[in-house]
Amino acid sequence: MQQFIKPPVEIRYKEELDMLRFADDGRKPENWVLSPKMVRTFILGGEVDTKDGKEKISRKFYGNDALVERAIITLAGSRGLMLVGEPGTAKTMLSELMCAAICGVSTNTVQGTAGTTEDMIKYSWNYALLLSKGPCREALVPSPLLVGMEKGIIARFEEITRTPAEIQDSLISVMSDQILNIPELGDEGLVLARPGFNIIGTANTRDKGVNEMSGALKRRFNFETVEPVKDVRLEKEIIVKEAQDLAAAGHIDAPIDTDVAELLAVTYHELREGMTAEGTVVAKPDAVMSTAEAVSVYYQTISHAWYYGSGRVSLDVLTQSLLGAVCKENKDDLEKLRSYFRVAVKEKSSREGGLWKEYLKTSPLLR
Amino acid sequence: MEGISQNEPASAVIPFDLDAAFLLYPVRHHSPACAYQLIKTAELYRPDVILIEGPENANELIPVLTDERTRLPAAIYYYYKDKKKHISPEGEDFRCYYPFLKSSPEYNAMAFAKKSGIPAFFIDLPYSEILINTKHDKGLLKGDKHSYADDSRLTRGQFYMALCEKTGIRSFEEFWEKYFEIEGLYKTPEEFVRAMHTYCALARKDTPAEELKADATLIREQHMAFNIKEAMKIYKRVLVVTGGFHSPGLYERLTGGEIKPVKPHSVPKDCTGCFPAAYSYEAADALHGYASGMSYPFFYDSVFERVCAQKSPVGAYSAQVLDMLAACAKKCKEQELPVAISDVTAAHTLIGGLAALRNIPEGGIYELLDGVTSCMIKGERTVSTSLPIDILKKLLTGDGVGHIGDTAHTPPLIADFEKHCELYKLKFNSAIRQEVEVSLFKTERALGLSRFMHRMAFLGTGFCERIKGADLHSGKDKSRVREVWRYRRSPQVDSLLIDRTAEGFTIEEACTSLASKRLKEARRFDVAAKTAVDCFLCGIELPDAHRRMTDILTSDGDLLSVGKGLRYFSVLYDLSRLYDYDSSMTLSLMQMCFERLLGSLGQLINLPDEQAGECIEILRHLYGLIDTRFNDRRDELYAALCDMSAASQKNPAVYGAVMGLMYAFEESNRTLAQSAMRGYLSGTQEIKKQGSKFMRGLFTAARDIVFADSTFIEMADKLIVSMSSDDFMEVLPDLRLAFTGFTPQEIQRTARAVAEIYGGSGDSILYEQAIDEGLFEFGSALDRELALCFEREDK
Repeated sequence: MQQFIKPPVEIRYKEELDMLRFADDGRKPENWVLSPKMVRTFILGGEVDTKDGKEKISRKFYGNDALVERAIITLAGSRGLMLVGEPGTAKTMLSELMCAAICGVSTNTVQGTAGTTEDMIKYSWNYALLLSKGPCREALVPSPLLVGMEKGIIARFEEITRTPAEIQDSLISVMSDQILNIPELGDEGLVLARPGFNIIGTANTRDKGVNEMSGALKRRFNFETVEPVKDVRLEKEIIVKEAQDLAAAGHIDAPIDTDVAELLAVTYHELREGMTAEGTVVAKPDAVMSTAEAVSVYYQTISHAWYYGSGRVSLDVLTQSLLGAVCKENKDDLEKLRSYFRVAVKEKSSREGGLWKEYLKTSPLLR
Repeated sequence: MEGISQNEPASAVIPFDLDAAFLLYPVRHHSPACAYQLIKTAELYRPDVILIEGPENANELIPVLTDERTRLPAAIYYYYKDKKKHISPEGEDFRCYYPFLKSSPEYNAMAFAKKSGIPAFFIDLPYSEILINTKHDKGLLKGDKHSYADDSRLTRGQFYMALCEKTGIRSFEEFWEKYFEIEGLYKTPEEFVRAMHTYCALARKDTPAEELKADATLIREQHMAFNIKEAMKIYKRVLVVTGGFHSPGLYERLTGGEIKPVKPHSVPKDCTGCFPAAYSYEAADALHGYASGMSYPFFYDSVFERVCAQKSPVGAYSAQVLDMLAACAKKCKEQELPVAISDVTAAHTLIGGLAALRNIPEGGIYELLDGVTSCMIKGERTVSTSLPIDILKKLLTGDGVGHIGDTAHTPPLIADFEKHCELYKLKFNSAIRQEVEVSLFKTERALGLSRFMHRMAFLGTGFCERIKGADLHSGKDKSRVREVWRYRRSPQVDSLLIDRTAEGFTIEEACTSLASKRLKEARRFDVAAKTAVDCFLCGIELPDAHRRMTDILTSDGDLLSVGKGLRYFSVLYDLSRLYDYDSSMTLSLMQMCFERLLGSLGQLINLPDEQAGECIEILRHLYGLIDTRFNDRRDELYAALCDMSAASQKNPAVYGAVMGLMYAFEESNRTLAQSAMRGYLSGTQEIKKQGSKFMRGLFTAARDIVFADSTFIEMADKLIVSMSSDDFMEVLPDLRLAFTGFTPQEIQRTARAVAEIYGGSGDSILYEQAIDEGLFEFGSALDRELALCFEREDK
């Protein structure tokens, strides 16, 4: 597992999935590896009975538990699941977790881009074989969608709204009739979806260059809006946990400074909400202030400390990383960040002192 | 509570003994499961009397509530006037409702007693005593607490949060629905009562004893226990229905030693009382915010009716959920939202699946909300796409209004209202909206009718709405002598009138009391002056109003508020003779305001932009007054304006208005205004932008300056031409406002002058390229939508 940068979910959490499978005595939809109850436990955490007694299953998705329940039940039905929301809200992670728990495969994925074509969604051909043998099953290159239909597993469609609307619409017939026709193969070209097949789409709502979905396609999906984490404490926990995982993967053996993680969580939370905990209104930057961004800023800071510094997190580097993460597109964001330091950080530094005081001292770096 | 510990649950301590002399039945207000299990318990226990938690001074209203002609939701309205100052030195008035729905256990207890031919009594302290024994800002004295039924101890606090966390449930309400409402229906009465006792006792353990004393819980329990003991002397089998939180306390007292009666305070008879009142589902739902009952009352009432009708809980929730889902889809269709049959089917399947995943026998409200969220909201969940959820929540809440069948207990304020309606021949018993036209000064009766309507509007009863006539608050159409009112007596009017009973027993008394209260609370002079306008329209006089107004005026540091107040009083002064109103107070206050503003005008010159408009109006008003009422102060105002114009920091719009008024005083000041405008034009781009604000102020105060010669038109042209399109868009609102006050003729004259600058003839400006019809229609539709939005915001 260690030889991969990011192992697939089913490999990363193999032990937990095995335990859940062992303990699972619930009712399962056809072809599901785990029952809906166990899928829920895998994603939201809990305890299971094993041969060696009770074992803890870690929580992997924080935030809206009811959303996860709705998503699981949706996948057991005939409609697809569409996860929408701002970038960095863990939509992809959630879809990977669900796929790994439901069918044991989280990598059956179409990545949507402006250049995605209908071939990538349905099927294409190995042209060398096509020329030598003509249209036959051997020459067919199945898309993840086709693989999903044939094996009865879930196909993921990442960033579906980046794909042009007319290409997106090629999903409609598959989702309505659960049939994909490959006319080149003649009588053998009718692929009927096996039970367990479904689609999880993800779409973000804030990036530039997204295409609106047609009403017909929308009708074939249940939509779930994944929102940013509302609770600062939870956001801090996520930053710490994710940074720990990233550090372990990167062989960075530095302890995680939870106070700095809290500072960063508060900064991201308040800038995202446009209001401080004390009730002062602050300007919201145009940049995406997601928890994923905060994790990346924090990881950057600890990497810097590990390779260049003493191993201890420096607030100077944190502020510089923050600057890089926030001021990307709009020149006004720099002023908004400065104003946050002038108003909110100053207020906290005079009230709480300590780390906030040091944080305030780094404000000259915002330029 | 010492007897109840975690090792020894409350269910083990408080017995469910069907042979005992008393049986404590714990409830949560408006809980259908509690009501259903109560009926089953009562059938098993066969009591001789039922004692119910509720202020005992309403005992005579029990037959009114259970009367066949009464339609629920209904409520008991309690009021108390603290004239003896038992509660606070302010001697405030208090009121609260005790609502009853079809699913209220208390109502079902009364109905069961009636059906079985046994008596039922309320056993709590009278409302006044509860209040007197409650510490400041606790219990019924907390904030805006207007409901007697209080579940806050059961629904708030650390205990329930820990429960939600442990069970992985989003909120207390969802927890309650799952474990008590849905699962509770399938339990035996004994199992249910034991579960309730356990939950309530644990919630009580979480509450410090001093809290229980401060919010009068302990003294109320002492009184209730005393009443139970007294009843046990007469009846053999006593069923006691109280909030579950009280059960442990009551049991401890009933099984302990002697219970002393609570010594009542002396309260004059006319200071406290209660009436039956029609109530609404919406009001019952709103109470949920105060932890007084459950949310979505219509849904739970319907479930309760189903359970009672089929005499079994099986399928009741599922059927009701399906009904609500279908109703929601229908409403969505009516509002042209894209909801298909397949969405409804998918939502229904999802609800079933969620119920199974969550281990609930049938899906309830939270599964229904989840189903609609997933299947009917297309795209990202935002305010606009969440309409199906809003529609569903409205349906779950319900819009039904109750009715009190027995009219013998008509509250005094409603009686006075009906008397006045008869006097003015208003059709108050019709459900159809009526219209009445009032020629204000034709007869004394007409003015009386107008005042009655204004009084009803002032009390916020929703009875009437003026659709034509003078609007003295905004100063619009103030010379109109005819009013047209639209009115209708709905059940809400009655309930709102009852709500005002604490303020008085007649409409006039209630208005006077409300206006006095507003004046007493007012800190700003404009707010006080607005109340004076209300009094003027309602034809009521407030004792000591002049002194209070003077106090507010002298202590109000905001000159804009003083200026606004002066405008209100000027309107009243102008109309006082016509309305036969004593104007001495008005004139004296106007003089004081005038003095105050004149002495501080210098402070207004550098106001921020958002206050400039208000300031300009005040300056214009002052100028108007020296022409009429205060012409002996002419020179002082002119000198003050000159001082303002000489200030170093100036708001451009206010500066423009000052120059405009100076021009109105002295025509030669036109050159000053022109050179000021030139100053703006020759500045940087930012300064130039301020030129548009200056013009706005100048033209608002003295628009005839435009036509004195062509200088200002040319300067305006130069200003516009020198700007980039972005800058022009930025100053456009100011430029538009600058010409807002112009008459059509003046606009045409200005346009001709502009055309001449560019060599156009006078008539050429009348022709322009035709606008695309579709675009025009889009613009009109956008205007209409915006107007509607603003209207909604104003409301």
